Amino acid sequence: MRVTVSRRSALAGSLALPFLARTGFAANAIPLGAINPLTGAGGAYGPSMAKVAEALVARINRTGGVLGRPIALDVEDDQTNPTVGVEAAHKLIDVGKVVAIVGTWASAVTTAVAPLCWQSRTMLFTVSGADSITRLPHHGYIIRTQPNTHLQSGRAAGFLLQHESKRVFGLSAQTPFAVDSWSRLKEVLAKGGATGIGDIIYDPKQTSFRSEIDKALAAKPDTLFLNSYAPDLEILLRETYQAGFNGKRFTFAYAATDAVLKALPAGVTNGLWSFAPSPDVTSPAYKAVQAILGISDPDPYSCQIYDHVALVALAIAKAGVASGVAIHDNVRKISQGPGQKVSDPVAGLKLLAAGKEINYDGASGPCHFTPIGDILNCKFLFQVVENQHNKTLFIS
Amino acid sequence: MIAAFLQAVVNGALAGSVLALPALGFNTVYAVLRFPNFAVAGLATIGAYAGWVANALWGWPAPAAILAAFVAGGAAGALCDAAALKPLRPLGALAAAIGSVALNIVLENAVRFAFGNNPRGYDLPVFRDWRFGAIGIGPQEVEDAAIALLAMAAVFLLLRTTRIGKAMRAVSDNATLAESKGIDPVRVAWAANILGLGLCGIGGMLVALDTSLDPLTGFRVLLSIFAAAVVGGLGSIPGAVAGAFVVGIGEELSTLVVAPTYRTAMGFLAILIVLSFRPRGLLGERAY
Amino acid sequence: MLDYLVSLSVFAGLYALLALGLNLVWGLGGMVNLGLAGFYSIGAYVSALAALHLHLALPLAALLAALLAGAAGAALAVVTSRLKGDYLAIVTLGFAEVIQLIAANEIWLTNGTDGLSAIPAPGRGKLSPFHFDLAAAATVWIVLALIALGLVRLSRASYGRVLRAIREDETVARVAGKRVLAFKIGAFAVGAAVMGLAGSLYAAYDGYVAPDSFDVLVTVLVVLALTAGGVGNMAGAVLGSALVVALTEGTRFLGGLLPGLSALQVASLRQGAIGFFLLLLLRLRPQGILPERMRVHRLDG
Repeated sequence: MRVTVSRRSALAGSLALPFLARTGFAANAIPLGAINPLTGAGGAYGPSMAKVAEALVARINRTGGVLGRPIALDVEDDQTNPTVGVEAAHKLIDVGKVVAIVGTWASAVTTAVAPLCWQSRTMLFTVSGADSITRLPHHGYIIRTQPNTHLQSGRAAGFLLQHESKRVFGLSAQTPFAVDSWSRLKEVLAKGGATGIGDIIYDPKQTSFRSEIDKALAAKPDTLFLNSYAPDLEILLRETYQAGFNGKRFTFAYAATDAVLKALPAGVTNGLWSFAPSPDVTSPAYKAVQAILGISDPDPYSCQIYDHVALVALAIAKAGVASGVAIHDNVRKISQGPGQKVSDPVAGLKLLAAGKEINYDGASGPCHFTPIGDILNCKFLFQVVENQHNKTLFIS
Repeated sequence: MIAAFLQAVVNGALAGSVLALPALGFNTVYAVLRFPNFAVAGLATIGAYAGWVANALWGWPAPAAILAAFVAGGAAGALCDAAALKPLRPLGALAAAIGSVALNIVLENAVRFAFGNNPRGYDLPVFRDWRFGAIGIGPQEVEDAAIALLAMAAVFLLLRTTRIGKAMRAVSDNATLAESKGIDPVRVAWAANILGLGLCGIGGMLVALDTSLDPLTGFRVLLSIFAAAVVGGLGSIPGAVAGAFVVGIGEELSTLVVAPTYRTAMGFLAILIVLSFRPRGLLGERAY
Repeated sequence: MLDYLVSLSVFAGLYALLALGLNLVWGLGGMVNLGLAGFYSIGAYVSALAALHLHLALPLAALLAALLAGAAGAALAVVTSRLKGDYLAIVTLGFAEVIQLIAANEIWLTNGTDGLSAIPAPGRGKLSPFHFDLAAAATVWIVLALIALGLVRLSRASYGRVLRAIREDETVARVAGKRVLAFKIGAFAVGAAVMGLAGSLYAAYDGYVAPDSFDVLVTVLVVLALTAGGVGNMAGAVLGSALVVALTEGTRFLGGLLPGLSALQVASLRQGAIGFFLLLLLRLRPQGILPERMRVHRLDG
């Protein structure tokens, strides 16, 4: 028994090692956390989000940091699972004492993590789409850069009307916003004289959607509204093509990623419409994200996390203090209002240091927020797939 | 209504044809080594990536890429088994099964480390379905079904006619007796792993062609593979193929009566019903 | 750091409860019941709904959660009474999937994939986050100690001996005049009730439940925890759970040691390392850290 005990404590000792071996950043660094879906169902998005956040932090640190202090970014994987997300948030908040957490993706992770954030006065920046998130009692500690369902679906329906879709069928992944977005879409379509002829909510974990597609096509739609994420969109695009559908297909830009378009033959994806909240296409912030990822067409979440980091840095610079409360109190002072428009966070930091007022317009859009943390009306970028690439149609 | 019914059967058969090959590989391993190897998910993914490297990067045609998938799945599978699972087998099937779950985590993340999460695409065309009146059938899936049936026939012949195949059958029927007759269990284990896990490699590539190629390709179908193997009868070669079709068709038929999101639930109900009447699977546990 | 360790101890305690429930069915009864995510989920949802809509206090909500999860366990035992081994494993895994599907689709009841948030718990909002975590940890570990004590007594009593006899040879047990089915149903029900209780505590601690919280990951972790600790041994179940949480969380700190890798590569190395450590442990301590035999030995001595 004694032997076992000593072995056990040896084991415990070896497990404790990683805790002790933390590599420290500069002692005065501003701690910032990111929780991204690096693995699991959101794995198509997390890695590039982490890359963008790390690159922007590195650039800010190279150019003098914020208030003369570097930012120390700790990226944690939530495995697209709320329990793992909560554990990661505990590590960031309790051990790292981060001032903000950026980039939570899955709505379930964001909702699970949010109370930990507002209770500890840690600012939470999210890309999650569920409308319920900003309705949580968060006391202003949530900023969401993803437009809510009402805004997005309304604009999507407008686009479809403009392109003479008359009979629209929805195929929606089982998500918190599937039902809301379809009812909003149908409502706007009806006003414009078109019909949402039906929708099917599917389980995105399935590996085939043939039956769903058969049912949809049996209703003779001229347009399919694909409310999907990247992995299920790839299957849906292939299977609608196989099923012989020649009508219009419309989806979200976060689903029609570069990687999905490259994974499928051009004939399968040509003509696919998608849309995203729009940056100024000439925006240096958008170009910076393109450069970081080395692709012409970064997904909206990567653009949004760029803005999260930028907003954190600028709000701290504006406040002169690095804390969650400071970010909470100052984020709208640098994101909206009468100040000078900037799209480059480093330029923004310089202006703030010089005592100027700024208005940050980011890689994902103008970054103007309502009191509950939703983005105000913004422009949308509409694009169409040509030869495995998204081509911009227009911004409106 | 009849058209809808027929189409559901066809769709189910197509879904089943994709599952058949990995299920066949799973049962080949089970027949000889008598434990469920859940690392088939990771090995299917490895096969799929090997096929992708051969096809999309090196420009090999489809049959050569399939061969690459077989070799990668079989080699990686047999080596991992020798290193990680073989020492656990004497402790019982359960220890080996749980070890294979841990091994699968390692394999999935090795793929992720090397290739990232972004989906990859083969340099192979996607064909439109053939239409027969109201019924559509996918050429790709018909090909999958043909490959699965061919593989089943090949495994069958191999077990029937070759020396190593006969040795595998002998071990499958009674390992102790086989050993006493001078059959080397180590060689037989290697053969079973290379064959079974190689088939999983091919199966993984076919699954990836039909769904998407990323580090979760195999994991997404793991439960269905296990279900197919169990329904058909663990360790049964034709049972794996039959089980795959039962699971596929059962799930699709259910979409005629319940919301499609409950398809998986109905699949499990079908499994429960089958097992209630045949607790050892449709075709029992003999290799064939 | 202390706050972090306290919150981790809550999760370790919850996994330990799940492992204890699993141990009763699997370790003693020899039935591979992999439906634990389902019972955990039922417990969490029942407790959350009872707290939100019926305004039940946590102890009552937890009791209701345990009762309903136990009933579901008994029902599953009846339905699967003819199945064994891998055949039982697939059906119970399927059960967990079905529960997850119901949680995602029956929006009127469960609020769908949005999940149920703002689940009340004693002290939430009144205590500081650290004190809330301390109270939660104390609650979970006291419950855990009581349940462990109860299960140890149960397993040493004639009930446990019969279960072990059924595990070793069902026919012999039946011939010996034991009502095998009743014992099996009982074990399933008690095991599921413990898991449901864990779910209730989880819902109260996190304040939020969603279908994604109950995916196959939790089953994998708990099965590995029980195997690592020692199947058949209650103390092993607890130790294994602590070990698994130490592994999954400890590996979070490895990233800083690996400069030059992308976040994705660090994440895959982290998970790969978890798998590797567990394989190593299975190899070195195949019966778990605290094998069942050791406990028996200590009893004899």
